[in-house]
Amino acid sequence: MWIYEKRLQFPVKITKTCPKTAQMIISQYGGPDGELSASMRYLSQRYTMPVKQVGGLLTDIGTEELAHMEIICAMVYQLTKHLTIEQAKEAGFDAYYIDHTTALWPQAASALPFTSIEFQSKGDAITDLTEDLAAEQKARTVYDNLLRMIPDPEVREPLKFLRAREVVHFQRFGEALEKTKEKLDSKNYYYFNPEFDKGMMKTEL
Amino acid sequence: MQEEHLAIASIPIQQWGALYDEKEAMAAGTIFRDLNKPFFAAEIEKKDIKEAAPKSEEQRERETLLTKIAETSFLLDDLTLYLDTHMSDTQALDMYSQKTKERDELKKQFAAKFYPLTRDCIIYCESGGKFCWQDGPMPWEGACV
Repeated sequence: MWIYEKRLQFPVKITKTCPKTAQMIISQYGGPDGELSASMRYLSQRYTMPVKQVGGLLTDIGTEELAHMEIICAMVYQLTKHLTIEQAKEAGFDAYYIDHTTALWPQAASALPFTSIEFQSKGDAITDLTEDLAAEQKARTVYDNLLRMIPDPEVREPLKFLRAREVVHFQRFGEALEKTKEKLDSKNYYYFNPEFDKGMMKTEL
Repeated sequence: MQEEHLAIASIPIQQWGALYDEKEAMAAGTIFRDLNKPFFAAEIEKKDIKEAAPKSEEQRERETLLTKIAETSFLLDDLTLYLDTHMSDTQALDMYSQKTKERDELKKQFAAKFYPLTRDCIIYCESGGKFCWQDGPMPWEGACV
């Protein structure tokens, strides 16, 4: 069950229309390292996590990623809310306009549609947590790239916030991996799959 | 107790340390000073965002309260993830319970004065016989805060 809270985790108030910026930022909505992908990754992986605490962390971070998706969507929405046809043509936003007008649709900056092919839920706790560490780094790099490209402070402030969250999540996934390792034999972490060979974990969970 | 081993990633467990105040934490994207690792290209710009149209007294009051709620809630978001991996940290636990009480109180106040942020706040609205869940601007409109 989820509970909706009618506010953004970080405020977004963008006064200047800029379809070019919208087209770049939309990648963090539906792109390969975007917030939707992040949320679906963690919320998919959590069910079979052998360490309960780690499943809990995946739920909490997966939920926060939904809030981040909402921040990104609010930014794209505000950047194109008063879009004119001339602006769409000049900025190369015309192709998106043809298919979606100014509605929100999850795609990458390159126009690649959102797809679950971009993330994994592998059924092995070490594999999945290592993927999660990488995912946070990939998302951070996207925010770094966006911050190099975009000068408008109204857009940069939320992007800086979202970037900082990637760093925090990386730390938490690292701690989750350590918690998982504690239940395994350090002589060989790979002797069995902790998510499948449940009986072989160190303690009852 | 943490040991590094070959052929697997290792991350040191964070120790409780200095925190930002709530306003600084929003700007830094974390309450933990130790986890603030900004990007150089993000630091060179000037921060001032000019205020648009003058605000009414009501809007000012609404934004002040909503900002307070956002800051307190964000502190709790970050603290929750910390507690997920540090379940017995007493300082974090104390802060969690204190801030949760503050957040509850602020949400009630906001519902009574403006509109409900969550469904469980609907009962605090003074909406005169009308269902108030749809009151207030949608969060993505940028109308509030």
